Amino acid sequence: MTSRNSKPAAPLRWTLILLAAGSVGCARLDQMQMGSLDQSQGKLTPVSFSVNELGLDMAGGAEIARQLTKGQASQNAQAVRDILALINMGPRTGNPVFDDSYSDQLLASIQQQCPSGQLTGLRSIREGIAYGPVSGEVVRVDGYCINSAE
Amino acid sequence: MKVWITLCLLALLSGCVSLNSVSMTQVPAQRSNQVTTSADHWSLLGIAFSNDFVDEAMTGLQQQCQGGKLEGVYTKYQNTLYLLILQREVIVSGYCNRS
Repeated sequence: MTSRNSKPAAPLRWTLILLAAGSVGCARLDQMQMGSLDQSQGKLTPVSFSVNELGLDMAGGAEIARQLTKGQASQNAQAVRDILALINMGPRTGNPVFDDSYSDQLLASIQQQCPSGQLTGLRSIREGIAYGPVSGEVVRVDGYCINSAE
Repeated sequence: MKVWITLCLLALLSGCVSLNSVSMTQVPAQRSNQVTTSADHWSLLGIAFSNDFVDEAMTGLQQQCQGGKLEGVYTKYQNTLYLLILQREVIVSGYCNRS
């Protein structure tokens, strides 16, 4: 006989805790660069553009699978984790992505926001938001458009 | 024993710095007016939810060079770890010229 107000079982409780923790994204700042700023030509209007690509830590995912399984399945997940870790070995910024050209259209996109074509104070920011083994790999460019007519 | 504890405490409190990125733009010939600003963010175990502190650095520079041209911008992004507390810091300097 089960009580209606009984607490969730331990694995379910842990799953809920992990889900809650994983749903809160952790921000990561990898690199930033600031350019020259010209405030002598006219009024400045802020412009900003960012692109986001799905990053996946597959070895981390396999590690979670290993933790959640038992016996032979756990050993298989461990083997997969080790192979994935070896494949993705080496220096990198953030999690691996499946398309490395996702940031190529940044300049064209930011120029569209600036009809005068005069951009200044550009800040290039490489950052990420991690949700466990999944992350958003973000490239952001902020800056100012010089409105010389004003 | 006390000496070792003191040494360990000093080592932990002094902080370990890692330099993440450095960049520099073209430097002007006239370099008489240097302006510097910094912005930082403190977090427990490095858990942060936004990177908005970066924008504060640009605002600081803008205010110090009103109506002028800021060139030779040197940007440094570094992390300092004080045991469990992480300080993320952006330090920016440049030369402001008002012609």
